[in-house]
Amino acid sequence: MQQLATRRDLETTRKQLLLDRKKIDKTLIICGGTGCTASRSQDVIDTINQELLMQDLDFSVRLRITGCHGFCEQGPIMVIEPGNIFYCHVTPNDAHEIVTKTLRDGEIIERLLYTDPVSGRKIQTEAEIPFYQAQDRQLLSKNREINPCSLEDYIAIGGYMALDKVINSLSPEEIIHEIKVSGLRGRGGGGFPTGRKWTECYEAPGDEKYVICNADEGDPGAYMDRCVLEGNPYLVLEGMMIGAYAVGATKGYIYVRNEYPLAVKHARLAVQEARKYGLLGEDILGSSFSFDVDVARGGGAFVCGESTALMASLEGKVGEPRPKDVHTVVDGLWHKPTTLNNVETWANVPSIILNGAGWFASKGTKGSKGTKILALTGRIKNTGLVEIAMGTTIRDVVFGIGGGATNGKAIKAVQTGGPSGGCLPVDKFDLPVDFDVLYEAGSMVGSGGMVVMDESSCMVDVAKYFLTFLQDESCGMCVPCRLGIDRMLEIITDITEGRGTLEQLDLLEELADTVTQTSLCGLGKTAANPVLSTLRYFREEYEAHITNKKCPAGVCKALIEYFIDPEKCTGCGKCKRSCIHSAISGEKKEPHVINAELCQKCGICLSECKFEAIQVK
Amino acid sequence: MESMQLESILNGRSSQPHQLIEVLQDVQENYGYIPEEAMREISKALGVPLIEVYRVASFYKAFKLKPTGKYVITICNGTACHVRGSQLLLDQAISQLGIQPGEVTEDGLFSIECVNCLGACALGPIASENGSFQHHMTPAKLRKFIESIRREEKKEGKHATASYEKRPGDYAEAASPR
Amino acid sequence: MLHYVTVNIDGADIHAPKGSSVLDVALEYGICIPHLCHVPGLSDIGACRLCIVEHITNGRSVVTTSCTLKVQEGMVIRTNTDRIKRLRHNIAELLVAEAPNSRAIQDIAVRCGVKKVRYPFRNSNCVLCGRCVRACAEIWHANAIGFVGRGKNRHVERPLNMREEFCKGCDYCIQLCPMTIPPCDGPMKPGEEYLCGKCESQLMITEDIPDSCAWCRLGEGFNCGRYAGLKAVR
Repeated sequence: MQQLATRRDLETTRKQLLLDRKKIDKTLIICGGTGCTASRSQDVIDTINQELLMQDLDFSVRLRITGCHGFCEQGPIMVIEPGNIFYCHVTPNDAHEIVTKTLRDGEIIERLLYTDPVSGRKIQTEAEIPFYQAQDRQLLSKNREINPCSLEDYIAIGGYMALDKVINSLSPEEIIHEIKVSGLRGRGGGGFPTGRKWTECYEAPGDEKYVICNADEGDPGAYMDRCVLEGNPYLVLEGMMIGAYAVGATKGYIYVRNEYPLAVKHARLAVQEARKYGLLGEDILGSSFSFDVDVARGGGAFVCGESTALMASLEGKVGEPRPKDVHTVVDGLWHKPTTLNNVETWANVPSIILNGAGWFASKGTKGSKGTKILALTGRIKNTGLVEIAMGTTIRDVVFGIGGGATNGKAIKAVQTGGPSGGCLPVDKFDLPVDFDVLYEAGSMVGSGGMVVMDESSCMVDVAKYFLTFLQDESCGMCVPCRLGIDRMLEIITDITEGRGTLEQLDLLEELADTVTQTSLCGLGKTAANPVLSTLRYFREEYEAHITNKKCPAGVCKALIEYFIDPEKCTGCGKCKRSCIHSAISGEKKEPHVINAELCQKCGICLSECKFEAIQVK
Repeated sequence: MESMQLESILNGRSSQPHQLIEVLQDVQENYGYIPEEAMREISKALGVPLIEVYRVASFYKAFKLKPTGKYVITICNGTACHVRGSQLLLDQAISQLGIQPGEVTEDGLFSIECVNCLGACALGPIASENGSFQHHMTPAKLRKFIESIRREEKKEGKHATASYEKRPGDYAEAASPR
Repeated sequence: MLHYVTVNIDGADIHAPKGSSVLDVALEYGICIPHLCHVPGLSDIGACRLCIVEHITNGRSVVTTSCTLKVQEGMVIRTNTDRIKRLRHNIAELLVAEAPNSRAIQDIAVRCGVKKVRYPFRNSNCVLCGRCVRACAEIWHANAIGFVGRGKNRHVERPLNMREEFCKGCDYCIQLCPMTIPPCDGPMKPGEEYLCGKCESQLMITEDIPDSCAWCRLGEGFNCGRYAGLKAVR
């Protein structure tokens, strides 16, 4: 590929790449995203490669390894074009059959097709799968079209057309206006109007300005940003460049959390390639706009997702947040005006520029426009990454896309927004996914994590889990967060261990309110949300722990007992053999018994029994 | 301690305090932890007070101040895994190995780490060792997994899970727990 | 040439030098805002959160620390609303429950209206106010001590436990530490901590004029900003 020094270079290169693409007969797309990799998709890729070589098909079939497709529960995933044939749960042993039957002979292999859990029938194409149909995959659908390490692929599907348009026909004011009118709001959790942020930064005095991409994604259970950055790093880069052009920045940073080495790698590769071909550096595409980017790694701290803590980390310091009486768009990185946005926010920018603010604003609700990627996980049939138009109801996401409960247990709640968000009960499932609506209800959209819980989850335990997480991640500087979270956790632990009193519930609420109002940074300010929302909607569970000393969901160890149902027990003795505390006794073929005093509720016997004879009460 | 490696890490970065985290990350990758002498060298080279180096090294989870065990059992404690019972896995690891997360067993073989999300939520609960993901884990499976490592270690003396070590191609590194 | 701005604190219009903090301005004017981590002459970090005030702006009221808030023309501040009093009370309660074995912390708790502590007492010997750390870094530039660790594990330590390599023996850390003076009745035994409530901060007077400075012994004890003119650290 030639240097892309001017607009004409870009245009001619794009045309040539599109022609090259058309020449390819068949494309075999294999997902190399995290979920599929954990299911060993790399082994599938290796065996497919070998098969293609052995059958001399490696020149007429293009093997494209892409980022995440979102349907992680079904991985490893494979799509074959033409025909849009969708294979799931592919193993290396299937490689030979796939190459011979499908690629060479054009036959479908039934057993590898997706089975719809509701209707029971096999579905042949990706486009017909209900999980995908119910979504609006503006961003995620691009992942399957490109190999993320290939600049050519990105250009072929229209990459850098938005930057081209910006540099050559739009002024900074016009760009900012477009973003404002589109209604784009921060996708990282804050939901702050992006247009307003860019305006403030644009107006801030100073010659040296920065743009930052926040890829710290600390929320446990959220991996949307990872998949966008791993699967389409050039899209994020292009968005950042448009933003930099608008606010007047010439330097940018992509701050990736340390636990994402693949995202770091792909981001660095993309930056390298872009520099090589002239899409980063001086006088980009023949204009006077110069811009460069560095990729920095986090050190392993959730608090570094907070903007001032992130900037401190970039400056080589500990991730301690600063007071934001003066906004970071005026006084940010190195005390210069800085625009910090989330990966997904940047990723939305190019399509807004190309399709117009009106197009973006036509989706969603009055206050929340466009689409949002959610990480849908927990106790449902279909887990993975989903992209929906804002305004879709929680019910549609959980049941329509998620496929409803797994294991036949009733769904109880959904936790949205990570540790800064809250839990919503089933009777709130008709609420739309909307920044303001969810905030009013006591939760938040946050970065997009959505964990579905069923009756086997104890809501007090969930609050305890999040408080433990936040206590571990708090920087520890300010009193309300450091001591307040600690004391809230102390009270909740008392409750889960049977020592709780009803007065403590009132104290918990007051303390939660104090922590929210007086903490220095967003971590502390939102730390009480899991407690407050579970108290609001699941108070009866707290009261059951306190008054009846019982855990209705059977989770809190001090309040439960393991016992063996004599009707189900076959006396096989497996539990007795695996019990490491010698708490089970019984004769062969006779129902066994658990000694409650010795039992430590470690769960081993529960996972070993094949007859579901071991119960928790 | 091989001072050559540290020298090459510090090369080109002298008197640049903002490079502190990148330098510490390179040291962590190379040595498996941050040795005290390294901290002193870094303080001198970068012009950062020693207490600051120590402060940064102790603040971020990525940096270990003590060497880890030969096999690091990493339990994912993300929300999705938690909801699927990761706490029981952690309790099992603690009771079986007799150490708390962050500590090393006396024979230097094992340490336990908790991680807040490995990004493979559909396959939880997850325990990982040396980059290999063991998915849909139960306390019993974890017990067997740890015991199998011990057996292999006794037999071979080399790294029992080396076969999980990742693979060629720029595509498929499983997420490293650190 | 100093530029002045006019700010309104608790109804009073005050001329304040541009660039000074709301806390400094209030203390100078005689309005008492309890504080712990603020020391005249050292940087303000807003860690203890005791000096919170309500900043009325754009029709909303934002709770923020007065030590980090710089004065601006036309600013409206309220230091002693019911909301602030309750929040300050709760923060002081957390502090004294954590470290009751210090006269300064006991005094602050009583000054903020804490009469009963609703948490089990602990007996920490450091409240992480950061006075020692900042004094060491900013006055003598010795950097002999600093914060280490994160969250619950955060504590003050010498770098790698090295004695005297950096310490210049100025003793400012000891002078500024609020934990060095035990309660009036003497050090409390572990397990028998309590809220003494007998402080010498002239609480009775301050209850009637809650936001006026009473030149309390509390303030004298640990270098309250109000005493800056009389008994500054330097």
